[in-house]
This record gives sequence, structure tokens and C-alpha cells, in this order.
Amino acid sequence: MTGGSHLRFEAVTKRFDAPKGGIIDVLTPINLEIDRGAFVVFLGPSGCGKTTLMRMVGGLDTASSGRILLDGQPVAGPDRRRGMVPQSYSSFPWLTVAGNVAFGMRYRNDLTAAEKAERTAHYLNLVGLTDFADAFPKRISGGMRQRVAIARSLASGSEILLMDEPFGALDAQTREFLQEQLLEIQRREAKTVIFVTHDVEEAVFLADRIVVFSARPARVLEVVDVNAAIGTERTFEVKESDAFFRLRNHVLHLIRDQTRRLPPELTEAHS
Amino acid sequence: MSSTGAVSRVWGGLVAFRGTSSRRADLWLAVAAFAMVGGLWQASTSFGWTSPQFLPGPVAVFDALVTMFRDQNFLWHIGVSFVRVWSAFLISLVMALPLGILMSTYRLAGALNEPLIDFIRYLPVPALVPLTIIWLGIGEETKIALLWMGTFFQLVLLIADDMKRVPQEYVEIGFTLGAKPFRILKDVALPAMLPSLVDNLRITLGWCWTYLIIAEIVASDSGIGFVIWTARRYVKTPEVMAGILTIGLLGLLCDQAIRMAHRRWFRYL
Ligand SMILES: Nc1ncnc2c1ncn2[C@@H]1O[C@H](COP(=O)(O)OP(=O)(O)OP(=O)(O)O)[C@@H](O)[C@H]1O
Ligand SMILES: [Mg+2]
Repeated sequence: MTGGSHLRFEAVTKRFDAPKGGIIDVLTPINLEIDRGAFVVFLGPSGCGKTTLMRMVGGLDTASSGRILLDGQPVAGPDRRRGMVPQSYSSFPWLTVAGNVAFGMRYRNDLTAAEKAERTAHYLNLVGLTDFADAFPKRISGGMRQRVAIARSLASGSEILLMDEPFGALDAQTREFLQEQLLEIQRREAKTVIFVTHDVEEAVFLADRIVVFSARPARVLEVVDVNAAIGTERTFEVKESDAFFRLRNHVLHLIRDQTRRLPPELTEAHS
Repeated sequence: MSSTGAVSRVWGGLVAFRGTSSRRADLWLAVAAFAMVGGLWQASTSFGWTSPQFLPGPVAVFDALVTMFRDQNFLWHIGVSFVRVWSAFLISLVMALPLGILMSTYRLAGALNEPLIDFIRYLPVPALVPLTIIWLGIGEETKIALLWMGTFFQLVLLIADDMKRVPQEYVEIGFTLGAKPFRILKDVALPAMLPSLVDNLRITLGWCWTYLIIAEIVASDSGIGFVIWTARRYVKTPEVMAGILTIGLLGLLCDQAIRMAHRRWFRYL
């Protein structure tokens, strides 16, 4: 499978029924192409429809019109090729931390028990939870729970990772560390990642391309080619370069203009 | 003094809004509550506030209980009641579990069954006694059927609710990790709903006992209900009370046993 876009959005729209009758348009026709192995960041005001669009890629929601093609095939329902790290905490309370990570490989028959155990240990270590392997989610912090979900989806080995604000609840150090690790895994295993964040710096640092959405109903405002602007090398020195700074400001302005257009209750809820 | 400090700490936890307590303090409070009611009861007979015809004292009731065990085969009656409750309960559970889960998993099953079950659920079990006797006579089947009607329909809806409360995120995670619907039920939904399921079973089991006594009073020649009803005919108030207390005690033991199992099984909560 060479060439051709890996993921293709063709005039995808979504409308929900409003609670008091009427309809809410969340996505106006979205056209987008994502290459295999690309790291794409979705950026946009709160409530614009990023989660909705990502869920449709995962097969957890259906488009109102238009379609999403994965290697030329329309997405129909969820499967193991697209792994999710949801926005809310999603570790299973009845499994230990290690049990949760191992659950990511539960339905993989191509791995032996020993391989599964090894991968579990590896990804636990990667997210810094080795010492908490036997703890139940109730007993660990919110950020740690989020790391469990990240480790689980990495361990599952899906080709496309859908990550909805995965680092939102983490402290700055853990966040930077996991950003680096994620980039490394993504490049080494040539994974396609769609990543939602509200942190512009994180977006610029991680992305090959940033898709900036308008306020709801979302349309693609701009697709920012990060590699063209700052190159493919991503070390922490890059964050201090002028190119990085300029790109960050550019994206920041795009977002600011959109946020001002939101009704007041939405901007508040976002902060 | 340090012991005063400990007491005030325990007390503080007990009276604080959503405060915490220790198992030991809970146990002592429970004992104290029983002792207080028992003391009042004893006092009312010792001081002659009530006539022993209506309210015999604890000693008289205890004597009656001993006689019942010794001369009236009461243990066997208890056993009979126990078997009835548990067989009806288990039959209800085995039937309600798949149906309840199905009802919250597939709208077709839910929409078809919910209103119907809601209707039947509100029919009081005593009102069904005559019909059941006409249909099934007064054998064991009648009792089991009555208990089943009292529990099954309630249980189905409770199980359906437990299943509905399993977070959609869990199910979606299962799907994106490659599970098929049946595996999701088994590996995700069932473990997720289990704690509240066990709680609901505990509560339903209590209702089951209530219906048992009704069934045994109207259509039986054995069981705790029968013993109570026979004692009433001869106005043996101490025996009536002994029977009632036995039911309460059995309920208390069952309930506490399940609570203990709950704490043990679901340590992760
Ligand atoms: N099931 C639903 N029914 C009705 N409206 C919905 C539903 N799900 C989402 N919406 C609406 O769609 C809009 C987009 O929601 P979505 O969660 O995709 O936003 P988002 O971009 O992910 O926001 P955030 O950055 O705050 O997570 C919101 O305004 C929300 O109210
Ligand atoms: Mg979102």
C-alpha cells in the first residue's frame, strides 16, 4: 500500500438534534486527507466538534453526510486498527494498572502470553507506572489514570492512534517526557496519529500538520504544514528556535480570533 | 489523655457530614441499637405497661423459641423456607440476568419488554394468590411461582438498569480494542456492573422473604410462615413473635454475609 491517502474525509458533516427541538450543525463539510504515518493535530475552540470528528474516524459515531475512507474503504464501525485514548478517564476500575494495559492486547491472538507480559511491562515503564502495576485505578491520581489509557492504546498496537487531549491532566514534566516518547514511538512504528489538544505549543511540537478548525459549526480554517516551517527534527532546542516561535504565534492568532467569536458561556466553560 | 482524643476523633467522624467510621464503631453502634430496643421491650413487660397476651417479654419469647426447636421441628421448617426462598430466587436470577442484559443492550428487547414487565411488576403478589392456587393447586410449585412472580419482574428491571449504567466509554474502548459484542458483555459490561448487581440481589433477596411468608401463610403446611400462622390460631403470641424474630435474624445474617462478600470481592471500589 503505497501512495494514496491513508485517511480521507469527503465532505463530512455532522448535525445533532438539539435537546429542545431543532438541530445543531457541528461540522460543515470537512475535506481532509491524512497520509500514512502522519502526526496530525486537531486544534480548535472548545465545542467546535473535534471529539465528534475523531469519534467518526474511530467508527464510534456516523457522519450525517459525506464519508471517511480508510485506505479507500469507508469506515464502518470500530475495530482494532484505530485505537482511542478518550477525553475522559477510561481505565477499568476492576483491573489493576497492569491489567488495564494488558487489556489492550486482550483480543490479539498473534501475541503469545509472554510477549503480552513483556509489552505490558515495557509500556508501563514508558509511562512511568511500573511501581503502580498492581494498584487499582481508584488509588492513583487522575494524571496517572490518563497514562494508563495511553499505555493501553500503545500496547494494543493499532495503526491509527486517536488521542483526545491525552496529556491534558498531566504535569509539565510528565507531559514533555510523554510528548517525546510519543513522537519516538510514532516515528519508529510509523503510526498515524490524530491528536487533539488546546495547547498550541504542544501542537506545534508534535505535529507534522495542524488542522485548525473554526468555532462551531467547524470548518477547516487552515492546515498548517509544520514540517515545512520548522523541519522534521523535534528536540527541545527546536522549541527555542525563531521558526518555532513564529509558527506558534501564527497558530495562536488563528485560534484567538475564533475563540472571541464564541458565545460567552462557551468561552467560560473552556477555560 | 490520649483515649479521650481517640474517642473524640471517632465521634467527630461519626457526626461529620458524609464522615467516616471504623468497622468496630459501627458494630458497637449496631449492638447498642439492638440493646436499646431490647431493653425497652423488657421494661414494658417488667413494669406491666403492656399485657403479656399482646406483648410477651423477651424471656417468654426465647422460651417459646427453645420449645419450638425442641418439640415442633422448627429447624426443619426454617430449612424448608430457606430452600423455597433460594430456589425461587436463583430461578428468578437465572432468568432475569440474560433478559435484563438483553433489554438494555438491544432496543428491540427493551421496547418489547419494559412496559409489559412494568405492568406485571405492579401487581401485588397477594392479589395473585387465588389465581395461582387455581392454576397450580397448593403444592410446592405454587409457592415457588408466587416468590418468582414477586422477584423476577423486579429483578429484570434492576439488572437492565445496572447494565444501562455501564459507561459508554468502557464499551467503546472494548470495541476499539477489537472485542465483539459478546466479549464486551463478558469482559467489560459484566465486571463493570457486578458491584451494583450484587447490591441489587441482596435487596431483592429481602423482598423474596416477604413473599415467602405470604405464600406460606395462605398455602402451606410447612415453613416459618406456616408455623407463625398456626401459633396465631391458638393465640400463642410468644411463638408468633419467635417466628417473626427468626425471619428478621435470618434476613440480617443473609444481608450481612452478602455485604461482607461485597467488600471482599470489590476491594477496588
Ligand atoms: N450526542 C450529542 N448530542 C447533541 N449534541 C452533541 C452531542 N455530542 C456533541 N454534541 C455537540 O457537538 C458540539 C461539538 O462537541 P465536541 O465534543 O466534538 O467538541 P470538542 O471540539 O471536542 O470540544 P472540547 O475541545 O471542549 O472537547 C458541542 O457543541 C456539543 O454540544
Ligand atoms: Mg473534545
